[in-house]
Amino acid sequence: MRLEAKIEVDAVVIGGGIAGLQTALDLAEQDYLVVVVEKDASVGGKMIRLSKVFPTLDCASCITTPKMAAAAHHENISILTYGDLKSLDRSSDGRLEAVVEKKPRFVDEAKCIGCRQCEYDCPILVADENQGGFSARKAIHIPFSNAIPQVATLDVDHCILCGRCEKVCPTQAVDYFQQPQTIRIHAAAAVIATGFQMTSLHDKPQYGSGEITNVIDALQMERLLAPHGPYNRVLRPSDGMEPDSIAFVQCAGSRDRSMGVPYCSRVCCMYAIKQAMLLSGALPLADITIYYMDIRAFGKNYEQFFQNAQAMGIQFVKAKVASLAAAENGAVEVCYEDQVNGGVTRTSHDLVVLSLGKIAAWNPFGTCPVEVAEDGFIRSVSPRLAATLTSMEGVFAAGAAAGPKDIVDAIAEAGAAAMKAASYLSACHRPKQARSGVSINVKPQPSRAVAMG
Amino acid sequence: MKDTTIPGKILVLATESCAYPGADAVGQAHLSYPANTYVLRVPSPVLFPEKFYLDCFDKGISAIIIMSCGVECPYEGAYDALAQRIDRVYQLMRQRGLDVRRLRLTAICTVCTRAFVKEVNAMNELIKELGPPGTEIELQDVAQSA
Amino acid sequence: MREVQIDSAQQAQAEEKRVGVYICHCGGNISDHVDVEALCARAGQAPGVAVARTHMFMCSDPGQEMIIKDLQEGKVNRVVVASCAPSLHESTFRGTLQRAGFNPYLYEHANIREQVSWVHHGRPATEKATALVAAAAAKAARLEPLEPIRMDVIRHATVIGAGVAGLQAALDLASRGIPVALIEKSPFLGGHVAKLDNIAPSNEKASELLTRLTRQVLDQPAITVHTCTRVVGFAGCVGNFTLRIKVDGEQGQDEGKKLHSMPTKTPRRGVFLPQYGVVTGSCPENPAEDSIETGAVILATGFKPYQPMFGEYGYGRHPQVVTLPEAIQALAGENGSHPVWHWHGRPIRNLAIIHCVGSRQIPGVHEAAEGAALNEYCSRTCCSASLGFANQVRENYPVTRVFEFYRDIRTYGRGQEELYQRASKNRVLFFRFEAQEPPRIESNGTGSESPLQITVKDTLTFGEEVQVAADLVVLAVGMKPNGIDDLVEMMKLPVGSDGFLLEVHPKLRPVELPNSGLLLAGTCQAPMDIGEATNAASAAAVKASGLLARGFVELDPFVAEVNLEQCTGTGACVVACPRDGALQLAEVAVNGKPFKKAQVSPAFCLGCGACVAVCPTNAINIKGWTLKQYEAMVDAIVADLAA
Repeated sequence: MRLEAKIEVDAVVIGGGIAGLQTALDLAEQDYLVVVVEKDASVGGKMIRLSKVFPTLDCASCITTPKMAAAAHHENISILTYGDLKSLDRSSDGRLEAVVEKKPRFVDEAKCIGCRQCEYDCPILVADENQGGFSARKAIHIPFSNAIPQVATLDVDHCILCGRCEKVCPTQAVDYFQQPQTIRIHAAAAVIATGFQMTSLHDKPQYGSGEITNVIDALQMERLLAPHGPYNRVLRPSDGMEPDSIAFVQCAGSRDRSMGVPYCSRVCCMYAIKQAMLLSGALPLADITIYYMDIRAFGKNYEQFFQNAQAMGIQFVKAKVASLAAAENGAVEVCYEDQVNGGVTRTSHDLVVLSLGKIAAWNPFGTCPVEVAEDGFIRSVSPRLAATLTSMEGVFAAGAAAGPKDIVDAIAEAGAAAMKAASYLSACHRPKQARSGVSINVKPQPSRAVAMG
Repeated sequence: MKDTTIPGKILVLATESCAYPGADAVGQAHLSYPANTYVLRVPSPVLFPEKFYLDCFDKGISAIIIMSCGVECPYEGAYDALAQRIDRVYQLMRQRGLDVRRLRLTAICTVCTRAFVKEVNAMNELIKELGPPGTEIELQDVAQSA
Repeated sequence: MREVQIDSAQQAQAEEKRVGVYICHCGGNISDHVDVEALCARAGQAPGVAVARTHMFMCSDPGQEMIIKDLQEGKVNRVVVASCAPSLHESTFRGTLQRAGFNPYLYEHANIREQVSWVHHGRPATEKATALVAAAAAKAARLEPLEPIRMDVIRHATVIGAGVAGLQAALDLASRGIPVALIEKSPFLGGHVAKLDNIAPSNEKASELLTRLTRQVLDQPAITVHTCTRVVGFAGCVGNFTLRIKVDGEQGQDEGKKLHSMPTKTPRRGVFLPQYGVVTGSCPENPAEDSIETGAVILATGFKPYQPMFGEYGYGRHPQVVTLPEAIQALAGENGSHPVWHWHGRPIRNLAIIHCVGSRQIPGVHEAAEGAALNEYCSRTCCSASLGFANQVRENYPVTRVFEFYRDIRTYGRGQEELYQRASKNRVLFFRFEAQEPPRIESNGTGSESPLQITVKDTLTFGEEVQVAADLVVLAVGMKPNGIDDLVEMMKLPVGSDGFLLEVHPKLRPVELPNSGLLLAGTCQAPMDIGEATNAASAAAVKASGLLARGFVELDPFVAEVNLEQCTGTGACVVACPRDGALQLAEVAVNGKPFKKAQVSPAFCLGCGACVAVCPTNAINIKGWTLKQYEAMVDAIVADLAA
C-alpha cells in the first residue's frame, strides 16, 4: 500500500545543499512557506562533506551546519529528506505540482531519537561513501555526525535482516515493512538547486579508469584532510603509507572534449590549491605538485590565495597530463608534456589526486519540462539580468544546478533565486485569507523529521 | 562522595558557535575522555574578567581550557581582546604562584573531535603532575626566565 | 535626558524562583550509563529546585505535558531539562514553556547525553551529570524573562548607484512593494555597462540590455530616481536610517556639463546615449538638499577601470597604446565601411592585447603608483572581455591579425570557454608570459610598417623570445573600486586590503555589512561580470526585503543590558566595546538627579560581552548569559569539593 500525503506551500525547493538551504531561508524570511526536497538522508549537500573551504580556510562544517540548523528550525520551512522527485510540472489549476516519493528508511522518523543503538549493534560493515570509501559504516546508520535529521537509515542492499536493530531500538522505530510514501507538493513557485556530481573516474582510460589504487578523486582527498576523516591523517589507500610526493592533475574531466565536458568546472583550481595548502600543513616534508593548464583564481581573494600557495613551496607545472600508470611500490607515473623545457616527461608520485570536473546532478528529462543547455545544466533564459530564470514560468534555478559554481557564487545566486521567486509570488496575488489555513497543514507528516533538526 | 581517582576539575569555556558543537561531536563519535571536564557554553569567552579565572582557581577548579573559535570568531575584535585579557590573567597567575599552564586558550571547530580529546587529556596529565591549584611549587622564577 | 526611578526595596521583592528539573532516560542512551534515579534524587536536593522528575523521553508529548502541568499548577516557574545536546532540543523545550504560557527564556538545558553518557561511564558519569544538572539549576534560578528586541522599520529602501546592480536591486525591491530611492551621482543610469558594446560571451548589445532594464525602472512607480545626487549625511540604524542627499553636487555639475555639451539637444528621458547611459532628464541648475527616511541601504557604487601609469606597457608614451574600454569605444564607433579597421587614420593590421594590466600584481615584481596599493586580485572579467573583443575584430576585419599576451586564460564562466575556443578557431595567436618577464613595448622606428614592436619570452614555446609588430596595443585593464571615501567615512564601511568593500563573511553573510541594514551589491564588493553583479544585487535585495517585509524586525534578546543602580559611569565598557554605536555614556536622571551612565543601543550590540569583563561593578551584562549566572554554575560544579 502506498501512503499519500499532500502539502500546500508557496515554494518548493528541489535540493537541500547549500544553495537550496540558502534559497529556502531567504524565502522563509519573506514569510513564504517553503518545503525543501532532498534526495539524500541528510541535508547539507556536497559542502557538508568538505574539509575546509577556500579562500578563508574555515571549516566547512562550521559554515554549513548553522545554515542546516537554521533551515531545520525555521517555522516556515519543512524539510523532506530521502525523497525522489518523480515529477515537477504545472497542474491543471496553474500551480506547480511536485510529486515526491519518500523512500523507506525502514526507520520511523517520528520515533527515531538518533541514539545509534541500532548502528552499534548492526553486524554488517559497508564501505562508507561519506568517508570516500576509506572506512566502514554499518548497514543501518546515521550518515554522518552532523547530519540533519539525526535519523537512522537502513541500507536494504546490505541488510541481512538479522533483527538486531529492531530488538535494540529503545523506541521501536525500526520498521522492516515501511513502504514508500508519495507526497504531492502544490506550490506557486519552485527553485531547482539540484547541484552537481563529479565527472566519473571511469570515463578516462588515460587516467586509469579508476583502477589505479593510489589515484583518488578530489572529494576523497577532502575526506582525508577533514578533521573527522577516516584516518585522522593523510595516508594513501594502497598500503597506508604517508605519501612523500603528491600530485594534483587539473582539468581531469573539464575542458576535455573526450569526456564530453568542454567547459571549465570553475572550482577545481581553487580546491586543488586549497588541498595542497592543507597537505603541506599535514605533511610538511611532502613534495606537492599541481599540473595545470591555466590557474583560474578569479574570485575575491583567490589570486592572493594562489600566490600564497606558491610562496609556500607548492610546485605549479604548466602541463596537460597525458596519462597515468601504476608503477612500482604503489607509485603512480605521471606522463606529461613539459612546456618549459620541452619533451615528454615522466615523473613518479606516491599519490595522485584527480581534480575532477562538475556535471549536472539532475537531468530533468522525463521529470520536468524545464530546458537544459548544451552543457547539461539548467538553461538560464536571462543570463545577464536574471540568471536564475528558467524556461518555465515560476521555476527558478540556483547554484551548481545552473552551471558549475563555487560556494560563494552559489550562495549569492541562491539569494537571487529567492528574490526572483518572491517577486513572482507577490505578483501571483495569493488570496490573503488562505495563509493561516495553509500554514497549519503545511508540516508534512511525519513531522518529526522537521522537529528533530 | 569525593572521587580520588580524578586529579581535579577542568572547566571548559566553549564557544556556542564552534567549540560547544565540537564537544557534542565528540559525544556523537563516542570518543571517551575523563569525566572531570565540565563544559560551559558561552557566546564569547571575552565576557569573563580576569577575576573570574582567578576566582575559579580559588574555588578549586584545577584548570581552565578556553575553547574559542579562533580566527573564525563571529564577534569582530573579540578574539584579540580575549587574547590580551588572557595575557593579563597569566601575569596575575604568576604573581599568585599559579602555574600558567593551568589556563589554556585554544581554538576548537565544530568537528575537531580529536583535537578536543587531545586538549582534555593533555590538561589531565598536567594537573596530575601539578596537583590542586595553589599547591604547586613556586614556579614564578622558572616562568619568568622562560 | 532619560528619566528613571530606582526603588531598591521594590527590586528585592522579586518573585520566588522555583526550578523544575526534568531528566531524560533517552530510552537507555542516558540511563544505561547515568544512574538517572540517583541523579533525580540529588537534583531534588539542589538549592532552588522545587521539583525533580524523570521520563523515558522528555521530548515526547507526555514528557512535555509533564512540564506544562507543573508550570500551570504553579509548582515551578523555571525549567531545566537534562537530556541531549541543546542543538537538538533546546528550541523544543523553549516552545514547551511558551505553550504553557511562560516566557521561553526561563529555560536552561543540561547536556547529559553528548557530554556525559556518550563519553563517560559508571559512577564518574553520574557524578558529572549531577554537577551539570546542579549548575543548570543554579543558572535557571537566576534567569529572567527576555523579549526579542522588536524594532519598527520604515518600509522603504535606498540604493546608492544606478549601474546594472543598483538598477536590478531597485527593481527587485519594488517588485515586493517596497518603495525605493535610487541615488545616482551622474545624470545617467547604467554605469559602466553604457561604455560596453557587445557583451561577452552572449554578444548581447549593452544598449539593448540597458534600455530594457532602465525602462522597467523608469516605469516603476515605487522607484524614485535621484540623478545628479550624492549622499552627504548618514545617521540611524537598521530600519530607521536618515540620508541627507544633495542634488547637483560637484560631480553632478561635471556630468551635467557633459550632458549639455551633447551634440543632440537635451535628449528624451529613457533614451540611451552610447558611452553615457540612459537619460533621465537634465541636472537641476540650483543645488538643493533633501533627506530620505529609509529602512535599508544597498550600496551599488561600482568600480572604475584601472588607469595605467605613464609608461606602463608604453601607455601615454605611445599613442597607439590604449586601454580595452577605449578600444571597445573606438571599435563601436566604426561603421564598417572600411575593410580594415582604422585608428586615427592608420589601418590596424596587427593588434596586440595584453592581459592582467593592473591586476594580479605581485609584491616585489610590480610597482604600485605613488600612494596606491598593488592590485593583487584578479579582475575576473578582462579575459572574457579581451577574447570577445579579439573575436569581434577577427570576425569583422579578417585582415587584422590579433595577438594575445596572457598569464592564465580565465574563462571560467558559462559560455566563456567557448569564447576561448572560438578565438583559437579565429586564429588569434596566444603568447604566455610570466609575471616577472612581461612583454616589452618599443617604438619600431619611423620607417617600419607598424609603429610598435612587442618582445616577450613565450612560455608556450619553451621560453623562446618572440617579437611581434603591432599597430595598436590594447591593455586589458582591471577593475578598481570606485572612489567612495566619503561614504566609507560617513557610513563607517569596512574596506578590505584590496580596496573593495568587505562583507561580513564570504559564505555565511556574503552581501551584508557588519552594520545591520547596510548591504552590498555588485562590483563595489569585488570584480564581477554583469550576470554576477545582478545576481549579487538580487541577493542583496532579498535581504533588504526580508528586513523590511513585516514592518518590524525581531532581534535576539542576547544583548548587553545596564543595571543603572550599579553603573558608576566609568565608561570602561564604552572603550572596550568593539562596535561603533553600540554603547555610549549618556546623561540619565536617576530619581531626579543627573548621572553619567552607560547606555546600550540594542540594534547595534552583538552581545559579545567585551563590556562585561571590564566593568568594575558588574553593572553591565549580556542578557541570558550573565556573569552571576556563570559564577553560580561554577559554584555548583565545585560544590562537592567543598563538602
